[in-house]
Amino acid sequence: MDSKAPDLAVRHLSVRYGEQVALSDVSLDLEGGQVLALIGPSGCGKSTFLRVLNRLVDRSLEVRYEGEVVLGGIRILDPDTDLVALRRAVGMVFQQPSAFPFSVFDNVAYGPRLQGIRSSHRLRSIVESSLKKAALWDEVRGKLRRPAASLSGGQQQRLCIARALAVAPRVLLLDEPTAALDPLSTTKIEELILSLRGDYTLILVTHNLQQAARISDVTAFFRQGLLVEIAPTREMFTAPKCAETEEFLTGRYE
Amino acid sequence: MLRQSFRSELDQLDQELIRMGALVEEQIRRAVRSLTGRDVVLAEQVVLDDDRVDAMEMDIERRCLTLLALQQPLAGDLRIVSTILKIITDLERMADHAVDIAKVTLRLREELFVKPLIDIPEMARLSSSMVRLALNAYIHRSLDEALTMIRLDDDVDHLYARIFDDLQNLMRERPETVLQATHLLFVANYIERVADHATNLGEWVIYMVTGERKDLND
Repeated sequence: MDSKAPDLAVRHLSVRYGEQVALSDVSLDLEGGQVLALIGPSGCGKSTFLRVLNRLVDRSLEVRYEGEVVLGGIRILDPDTDLVALRRAVGMVFQQPSAFPFSVFDNVAYGPRLQGIRSSHRLRSIVESSLKKAALWDEVRGKLRRPAASLSGGQQQRLCIARALAVAPRVLLLDEPTAALDPLSTTKIEELILSLRGDYTLILVTHNLQQAARISDVTAFFRQGLLVEIAPTREMFTAPKCAETEEFLTGRYE
Repeated sequence: MLRQSFRSELDQLDQELIRMGALVEEQIRRAVRSLTGRDVVLAEQVVLDDDRVDAMEMDIERRCLTLLALQQPLAGDLRIVSTILKIITDLERMADHAVDIAKVTLRLREELFVKPLIDIPEMARLSSSMVRLALNAYIHRSLDEALTMIRLDDDVDHLYARIFDDLQNLMRERPETVLQATHLLFVANYIERVADHATNLGEWVIYMVTGERKDLND
């Protein structure tokens, strides 16, 4: 994957868990550097879609997929895809902050160390720049040796983003990244996502429609494993094309 | 449950909007009737009742802003609330023109009209009926009704052009009528503006129904 934020092209993607269809014939395109929000009711397939993009879905039992997903020119569903390289390029942030039981510094240095970086000077500079990108540096610069657990929930979530950024990914997957956070921390994460836009391709699952409206360029609405509609966010939230999208956005969805 | 209270608030807003529209329509009709009948008392009433229109506008506006803040409507719901907000602004401006016309009645109270007013009442009848048709189109969420209403603006424009020519000729032939004719020219212009605002209402209904903004005032 080159240094530009990668484009995403999905063609006829279907995913099954055993007999259960999680995604059915999904096709979409996303320009690199944009923020894509995935919305839809629980069980609609949006989280499965997210987990296909770093092949985390492979960990599920009896999973089978068809179709093609091309991320930055690489066909990531090919059997010989280097999953370690893919997951380095495609970082992920989960709903619950998942800080490791280490210090702030060691959390962020974890990935680079796994990659074999030993120079303490290099590690310090990676930790600092990652924490700065994650808008956390000013709050933790004097506390790098403290346990990550001493940070607030919102700070821990930004720490997780810093940790993901430390291995220099090109894509960030965010699975309801602010669902467990208070409004102020949510605002900080949203501003952070906006600041990463352009340099990274960001794909966000959210149940907060206003959040999708605030920070995404493109929104995709899923329902029962189908991609119902994908459109520029400002069009989707003011005048969606599909009646089903309209019903979902106006709360009349059955 | 939330959505249910949102729907019922929207229904109530629709009722308020119809009441405001009916009052504005009535204000325009009464203003022109005060002029043709040289009814100073009626004209003063029109001026006074403008406060009622303003109060209704502020009340509906406040309720729309509360809905936006508390319910954060999206898609079609968002278009409905923004359409109401735009409609009340146009209605309030129409009501201001009714006041303008009533004030002409008060200014011309001592003047005898040189000829009976025919085209001006006709123009006012058309324009005020556009207001009602526009609100019907809003209530019925009807693109067709909005487009049909907007077409009436052409008839209003024709009448306006004719009144303009007639009054110009009158002023040329009988210079002593200049004061009166100038005021009547203003009245015709106010009524023409009412029809333009009604056209705006139609455009907002079209936006609400289709999601597309069109400029049909020309």
